[in-house]
Amino acid sequence: MQTTLNNLVNAANQIILGKEAQIRLALCCLLSKGHLLIEDIPGVGKTTLSHTLAKLLGLNYQRIQFTSDILPADIIGCSIFNTEKHEFSFHKGPIFNQMILADEINRSTPKAQSALLEAMEEQQVTVEGKTYQLSTPFFVIATQNPNHQIGTFPLPESQLDRFLMRIELGYPDYKAERSLLMGENRQQLISCLKPQITAEKLALIQKNCAKIHASSPLLDYIQAIINYSRESADYNEGLSPRAGLGLLTAAKTWAFMENRDAVLPEDVQVVLPAVAAHRLKHGSTNAEEIVAPLINKVAIP
Amino acid sequence: MVLKNNQRTLVFLLSSIGLITFPHFWHIPLSIITFFYALLLWRFIGIWKSHWLPHKIIVLLIMLGGIALLLNHFRSFLGRDAGTSLFVIALALKLLEIKKDRDLYLICYLAFIVASSQFLFGQSMLMALYILLVCCALFTSLIIINSQQSKPVVAIKKSATILAQALPMTLVLFFLFPRIQTPDWVFLNDTNTNAITGLSDTLDPGSITSLALSPELAFRVKFENNNIPPPRQRYWRGPVYSYTDGKRWTESQQYINPSYMDTPKYKGKAYKYTLLLEPQIKNWIYTLDMPAQFSSGLYKNPRHQLLTQKQSNNRREYQLVSYPHYNTGYITKAEFRENTQLPYPASQKIITFIKQLKGFNSSPEDFIKTLLDYFRTEDFYYTLKPPLMKQKPIETFLFENRRGFCSHYATTFVYLMRVAHIPARVIGGYQGGEFNSIGKFLEVRQADAHAWAEVWLENKGWTRVDPTAAVAPERIERGVDINKQIAQGLVNFMSINNSNAYSWFKKSHQLLQSLDYNWQRWVIHYDTGNQANFLSSLGIKNLKIMLYWMMGLIGFITLCLTIYLFKNNDTSIDKASFYYQKFCKKLAKVGLQRQPNEGANDFYTRISQRFPTQKHQFKVITALYNQQRYGKQPTKKVLQQLQKTVNQFKIKVNIK
Repeated sequence: MQTTLNNLVNAANQIILGKEAQIRLALCCLLSKGHLLIEDIPGVGKTTLSHTLAKLLGLNYQRIQFTSDILPADIIGCSIFNTEKHEFSFHKGPIFNQMILADEINRSTPKAQSALLEAMEEQQVTVEGKTYQLSTPFFVIATQNPNHQIGTFPLPESQLDRFLMRIELGYPDYKAERSLLMGENRQQLISCLKPQITAEKLALIQKNCAKIHASSPLLDYIQAIINYSRESADYNEGLSPRAGLGLLTAAKTWAFMENRDAVLPEDVQVVLPAVAAHRLKHGSTNAEEIVAPLINKVAIP
Repeated sequence: MVLKNNQRTLVFLLSSIGLITFPHFWHIPLSIITFFYALLLWRFIGIWKSHWLPHKIIVLLIMLGGIALLLNHFRSFLGRDAGTSLFVIALALKLLEIKKDRDLYLICYLAFIVASSQFLFGQSMLMALYILLVCCALFTSLIIINSQQSKPVVAIKKSATILAQALPMTLVLFFLFPRIQTPDWVFLNDTNTNAITGLSDTLDPGSITSLALSPELAFRVKFENNNIPPPRQRYWRGPVYSYTDGKRWTESQQYINPSYMDTPKYKGKAYKYTLLLEPQIKNWIYTLDMPAQFSSGLYKNPRHQLLTQKQSNNRREYQLVSYPHYNTGYITKAEFRENTQLPYPASQKIITFIKQLKGFNSSPEDFIKTLLDYFRTEDFYYTLKPPLMKQKPIETFLFENRRGFCSHYATTFVYLMRVAHIPARVIGGYQGGEFNSIGKFLEVRQADAHAWAEVWLENKGWTRVDPTAAVAPERIERGVDINKQIAQGLVNFMSINNSNAYSWFKKSHQLLQSLDYNWQRWVIHYDTGNQANFLSSLGIKNLKIMLYWMMGLIGFITLCLTIYLFKNNDTSIDKASFYYQKFCKKLAKVGLQRQPNEGANDFYTRISQRFPTQKHQFKVITALYNQQRYGKQPTKKVLQQLQKTVNQFKIKVNIK
């Protein structure tokens, strides 16, 4: 199974150059059944990454471009009167796919944002009194522009908390940039990609990830991190219990990807910036800087 | 300069220091207090404007100024007041030179000393509570200093927890640890700043009037089995005034040989009680009339007054037994002479008056009755503000004013008795006392001060006669209403029906008094004697056994805790950590210190770079450790393997 995952990462690496760490984290997030938020300035490959992942995982996917005038019905779907049958029939929206690419989620108004976020939490949508189950697996990869850019509606903390991870891509380094400039069109490459994994295998991997052992000293470590975030003056508000659960799940998946049967403190440290940074209020906007006190000041028990 | 994020620490520390020194406002000279708060304010401003803080040389000058201030006031560094002032000045000066964390610690400890020095001046319960709260603030400062990032609320919680945890141990140590008596040569109270009021050794007509307006506590009495005498028996016998110069009454200086005196016989019900006496001017003990048994260290003089060996500035507690019915037996010649003494022959007017009442030819009992009837039926008044009687006070009072206080009635009565050749004397003391229904004890205040007469009668011995009771019986039956008396400056007795609001006020007052009484008895006055009583009530008869108990108890608790801790931890996991630490220590010797937040694998990567030749060994140990500590099933075998490899492991330092 780990070979499959490594192949997947390698394939993605061919498309997004020099961003292996971020690709692994994104994969880790999806294997942990979490939703992913990618935040960066436009043009660094956020959408490309999400397309690549969807394609490689073999999931049916649809992209929703969020704009300031998008309505919940554009996401969920709506009932249309059928003149032949003389009744309303429900036309499913893009949300009924296995993977949703919610592009530039923070450009839409809170109303439309909440339609998506509700679906993320409940795994179902209710339209006109009827409840529809969403497909499984159901992933949301949302991208957002930094909040200081024009025309953004920042996601409230309660909605940020629903994303298991937030990652940043950043500029490619010199070598990667050169390869990018010399290489083919990325869109074409993506369309040629073949799925590396079947839906059954994906489900199996997800199941195995959850089985990874977390010993009591490790849980002590996670609790120490959470407590520190709650008691220290570095943060206004501490990590929520949901964040703690997410941290453990992500660390387990990471350990699985590293081909281990138990979680080590290092696994926690690796996923911590992506899992915790967007849930903490801090002066800095850099994820590494935000969680630096948690990593540096909390001793491993 | 101190770090920027220490500003909050400083604000907290300085505020708590300001609070700590505050009660000294009443104890040490104003100039020193002003000096202290001025420097504190300076330092406070210095938190934000650090360039305003004084230079070293200026600090030196300020220090010299402080010392000059101290010497100017006390001319010495020794003694309670000077010593405390010295600490206050030192604390203020230290505030001006905060440079490192070390200085902050020093300030905290100085502040603790200043806080505890409050107890040299007063030991009331409220003060103790205040100091406890302020110490909690100081603890919080210490916690904030030590864990730089902590939020104040969290730190306050933590320090409160520490204090709460320390409390049971403090109580156990306080009550069980052998008490050490302060030797007499330790003079902590160098000047007696509290003016003590009380009866004086001369009784002139005004002396009790001045006490009648004082709500100050004289003493408190707790009776055994709540066996409390009725109000008309609550005569607290104090000094005996048997010598008069015609105006004033004083204690007689004559020597009476006690071996010639009769032994008193006691009858009826005995009252056993504990007397908690407030600091006194004299070495007098006030006892329920008449004391029969008393604690050691006291003695009874031939005039049946109880005395201590020495006058003491402290509150003291005594165990006493009194009988309200007694017979002192015959009178000696010396006693007779002393108690019929007159300054000059009585005037014709007085003699005529006594003749009128048949004082010379009826029995003493009859004469007493006639005289008391005379006081009762003629228009005599009991008042706090009698007119001044400078010349011939007795005649003026008897024939002209007829307004007076207890001392007027008592002295006039005794004088008339003596003229009629009946031995009589004036007794000073207190009458009454308010019953505290919450603490079940009697509170006797200075306003309860009273004077009455004692007359020697054939077959009865010395007998108490209170002429005031004839004029104002409610004084004896109901007692003095101190609050009203002070408010109006007039005589006021306790009313029988109290309004509701008033009784609420009374109740809360009694509750406070009761708390204070227990505080005095159990905390301030808890000495060797009390401790022995307390321990014997627990069944501990001597100190040695108690110490064995204590050691046994501590040993037992330690053992229980140890077993609990051992049982609660999975030892095999912990041992893995132990061996890994051993491995880390070996590496620390060559300068590779594992950071507390560094995972074993990260550490492995780091050390492998430094010692590539031993990479394999590192890998084995790291893998074993991770398997044992974080793996699914830690096994003994893995642990032994880890132990073996760590023990065998040695660093090969390449010497090039």
